[in-house]
Amino acid sequence: MNTKAALEVKKGFTYGLRQSLTIAIGYAPVAVTFGILATQFGLTFWEAGLMSFFVFAGAAQFIAIEMIHQGATVWMIGLTTLIVNIRHVLMSLSVVPFFPERTLPWSLGLAYGLTDETFVLNTRVLKDVVREENRRHVMLGINLGAFGSWFVFTILGCMIGKWLPIQFSGFQFALLALFIILTTTSLTRKNAMTYLLAALLAVVLKLLIPGKIYLIISVALAAGIGAWWRQGARSGRVSSKKADYKL
Amino acid sequence: MSIQFLEIILLMTLVTYGARVLPFLLFKGKNVQGFVRDFIELVPIALLAALVIPELVTPNGSIVIIHNPFLWAGVLTFLFARFVPNLFLGIVFGMGVFWGLDKLLH
Repeated sequence: MNTKAALEVKKGFTYGLRQSLTIAIGYAPVAVTFGILATQFGLTFWEAGLMSFFVFAGAAQFIAIEMIHQGATVWMIGLTTLIVNIRHVLMSLSVVPFFPERTLPWSLGLAYGLTDETFVLNTRVLKDVVREENRRHVMLGINLGAFGSWFVFTILGCMIGKWLPIQFSGFQFALLALFIILTTTSLTRKNAMTYLLAALLAVVLKLLIPGKIYLIISVALAAGIGAWWRQGARSGRVSSKKADYKL
Repeated sequence: MSIQFLEIILLMTLVTYGARVLPFLLFKGKNVQGFVRDFIELVPIALLAALVIPELVTPNGSIVIIHNPFLWAGVLTFLFARFVPNLFLGIVFGMGVFWGLDKLLH
């Protein structure tokens, strides 16, 4: 018991920072790619750096630079970002129970660094940290390590982007390649129907409606129908197995 | 830096940070369940479809299948990424294949 308590005292900010190393290494090539693409798509060094500093959200930033390049309006970009990042509500909700005694500054600070990757690492690490005060410091370390890597490597990517030849046509495919690669890792049997539905709706609506609004409509419709279908499947299962399950 | 760009950053920060911070400020440890949870979980995959497929199938505003470097580069990148799960290599592969097909098909 004593040794456990002694070990526990050591788990603080530095411990979190060390844990964040895996994320920092993983972020590096993605952030460099973002920096290169941002400068290739016409953003300045400062604009790309500022975006990584304030927004700190991978996919949304990639989508935003493409939309800026295509001349989308401020509101369209904001709305698309909201759609992309609304999932953070779920992650935030499941991290919050680790900090029942949190103060306002800690809430504001810890929430800032919540990404898909820091969320996964935090949930894994924090459940083994006993005291809330230590948990706060560990999460701060993890989040800051990830954030530092994202920002620094964005800047590095911008510097590389400035030196690359502009005339390489392959760059117009870089973002699509990124999204396709993300698709291969997130497509499962459980969400494949939603994927196909969204694809079909998006193609049809893009041909019918001018502008980028097709993105939001097709995503909302496909996710809505998919969720509704899941609810139906779930309640069907529950009613047929009522004898076995007590909810 | 233009005012419009600053507006974009501001709005993006507002919605992203908002999604992250609101549960910290409002909740005492309750979790979302049911339809809303399923909906939010399905948004990323639906978005990937809506972002990618129209760009591959209708690069110039109408459906093109054969003389379409976007479509074939997309198919090849998908297959490549299934076997080589490395983000950086995948992007380099996709750009290279697109560049080659673009030269070949036009």
